[in-house]
Amino acid sequence: MKSPEELAKERLARIEAAVNLEEPDRVPFSGVGGDVIAAYAGITQEEFCFDYDKAKEAIVKFNRDFPCDWTFAAGFVGVGVPPFTYAFADDPDVSATVGMAMFGTIHDIIGDTCTRYPGREIERNCSPQFIGGKFMEPEEYDDLIEDPVKFIAETIIPRICRNMNTPRKAMAAMIRLGMEAEKIKNFAIEVGKELAQLGYPAIPITLGYTPLDLIGDGLRDELNLILDLRRYPDKVKKACEALVEPILKAGLALKPLGVKYAFIPLHLNEYLSPELYNEFYWPYLKEVILGFAKEGIKSFVFFEGRHDAHLETILELPKGWGIAYFEKTDVRKAKEILKGHTCVMGGVPISLIVGGTPEKIDAYVKELLDEVKPGGGYILATSVGIAPRETPVENIKALIEAVEKYGKY
Amino acid sequence: MLDEILKSIVEMEEEEAIKKAKEYLDGGGDPQKLLEVCRDAMGEVGARFEKGEYFLSELILGGEIFKQIMEFTLPKIKGESVKKIGKIVLGTVKEDVHNIGKDIFKVFAEASGFEVIDIGIDTPEEKFVEAVKEHKPDIVGMSCLITAGVTSMKKTVDKLKEAGLRDSVKIIIGGGRVDESVKEFTGADAWADDAAKGVRLCKQLIGVEG
Ligand code: B12
Repeated sequence: MKSPEELAKERLARIEAAVNLEEPDRVPFSGVGGDVIAAYAGITQEEFCFDYDKAKEAIVKFNRDFPCDWTFAAGFVGVGVPPFTYAFADDPDVSATVGMAMFGTIHDIIGDTCTRYPGREIERNCSPQFIGGKFMEPEEYDDLIEDPVKFIAETIIPRICRNMNTPRKAMAAMIRLGMEAEKIKNFAIEVGKELAQLGYPAIPITLGYTPLDLIGDGLRDELNLILDLRRYPDKVKKACEALVEPILKAGLALKPLGVKYAFIPLHLNEYLSPELYNEFYWPYLKEVILGFAKEGIKSFVFFEGRHDAHLETILELPKGWGIAYFEKTDVRKAKEILKGHTCVMGGVPISLIVGGTPEKIDAYVKELLDEVKPGGGYILATSVGIAPRETPVENIKALIEAVEKYGKY
Repeated sequence: MLDEILKSIVEMEEEEAIKKAKEYLDGGGDPQKLLEVCRDAMGEVGARFEKGEYFLSELILGGEIFKQIMEFTLPKIKGESVKKIGKIVLGTVKEDVHNIGKDIFKVFAEASGFEVIDIGIDTPEEKFVEAVKEHKPDIVGMSCLITAGVTSMKKTVDKLKEAGLRDSVKIIIGGGRVDESVKEFTGADAWADDAAKGVRLCKQLIGVEG
């Protein structure tokens, strides 16, 4: 029996070898998370989002019973409000404490209208939802460009947050946030401790954003933004440029905690033709990735949807820049193009885990690994980490066993 | 003139397309013909999308141009009959709030002659059942963008069965989270994760040449 420390060391080495484009002892495996964590612990989504103790127990129980190398997906309990993160980009201490918190308790305090939580706006057992919205008019691009942090903090936040739309309410909300911050910090520390006892390596992560996605998710709404690209192209580009700095600042606020990776989930990549991608999206995403790299932080980019049309652009980044996690892009194809340059992650459709059988999963993983394992630089994960409540646990087990069986080098 | 309108739409020239369509109608043009041309244009946009030449950004903008032209064209046709090839009840399934894909599919389905009854997002199973009872559609379309929606779709199909309505409709599922295995799991008749293909399949399902 290995000690937790030995186990954690082994797992970390496995992940780092893959990131460094080498062959570890076995293909590293990042497990599933999401709604199934609460369901497995027998608690409601409401409890999972609002009760720190129950959430902690659920996370620990799940990670004990479904071990993996990197418990990335199993750490989130809620959804965030993107503009909120960047409202404090100029105040790194604040940003590091509440800017990235994704909890129901924060939702209650600020009263934001761009997320919906179980037991509040939606049923107790629904998972929390980010619903976005339009909080900015096209005429306001100039204000955003001139001073993005001020504009987000002083104009956008009062529009998004019911409890921050007058100075008095905003002051009260900020004090309540300050009081809650301590609990959130304790929660994170406690979860970290317990996971360490289970042999999980500590891999602190910060958050990054693509400027265009921040405008789409947090300010203009995706659909309006797509139309803006044709209607106000210059303003959109200037706004993207202006957002690079606050995005980096907020991300780097966590640097003192020893973060090694910046997680950057992409949203609009799949929407855009290569022309639009190369004009409005990629140059600024690249700036963000390189900005983190300069500070010794590797980017961990989740390429949502199909990224096929833009795969080659990844080669413009320096070799070993980070991790490319793919959702619907065929990882076999991605690996072919990116081998020796970028660590590739993904490969198992989540629908297979939800609707498949252990036999099917076994056969799928065997075939997948035959193709993508050779040469290293690969982390196995489901296409998205969020597994719904009804996910059969025997399928999660089957996935874990299949990686053990076919993943050895 | 109509050729130019078609070209403007396909080439994504929003202002041009709308301006010319208005001019055409103001000059006494036939709204029915304009409608047909817009439909053809959307067909072409869809075809380019299927070929990988166009992306979602073009589908969205194309849909937007189409909608804007329809706003002033359809009222001129009402009264005269707009022939429909079939009826679809469409909604995003329970627990899922994504509507962009559903709305694009709707525009494309309407552009190719379907009547679409949109019952919204986060749609409970019962609401689909009621809508089928009320509107007697040929097809039920469910849009699903999140994995949690997969079980919602299965439950909806089961509820339609319970209500004895399953055999009266064809069921097509769409959205980013569907594939062959999801189709099998839910008991739907067809699946599509792109709007153009979805419309093609809908025509096939009700036996209309596409
Ligand atoms: C935009 C977006 C949002 C927007 C939605 C805006 C809106 N008004 O719709 C916002 C930011 C609000 C959002 C919120 C959330 N999202 Co979201 N979102 C996306 C994103 C980036 C794009 C989805 C989209 O619009 N695609 C474009 C459309 C046009 O594509 P489409 O729907 O597939 O539609 C096409 C075809 O499928 C077809 N079609 C669509 N419907 C139908 C129906 C029929 C009958 C037919 C025939 C065809 C058809 O036609 C369309 C055109 O070709 C995807 C990532 C991705 N690339 O898929 C994530 C994604 C769908 N979201 C995801 C998640 C998790 C969420 C949230 C739950 C996040 C959260 N934790 O809060 C919330 C949703 C809450 C909820 N319960 O629904 C996940 C789902 C993961 C999973 N497997 O469950 C995704 C896949 C991102 C990811 N990889 O993690 N999201």
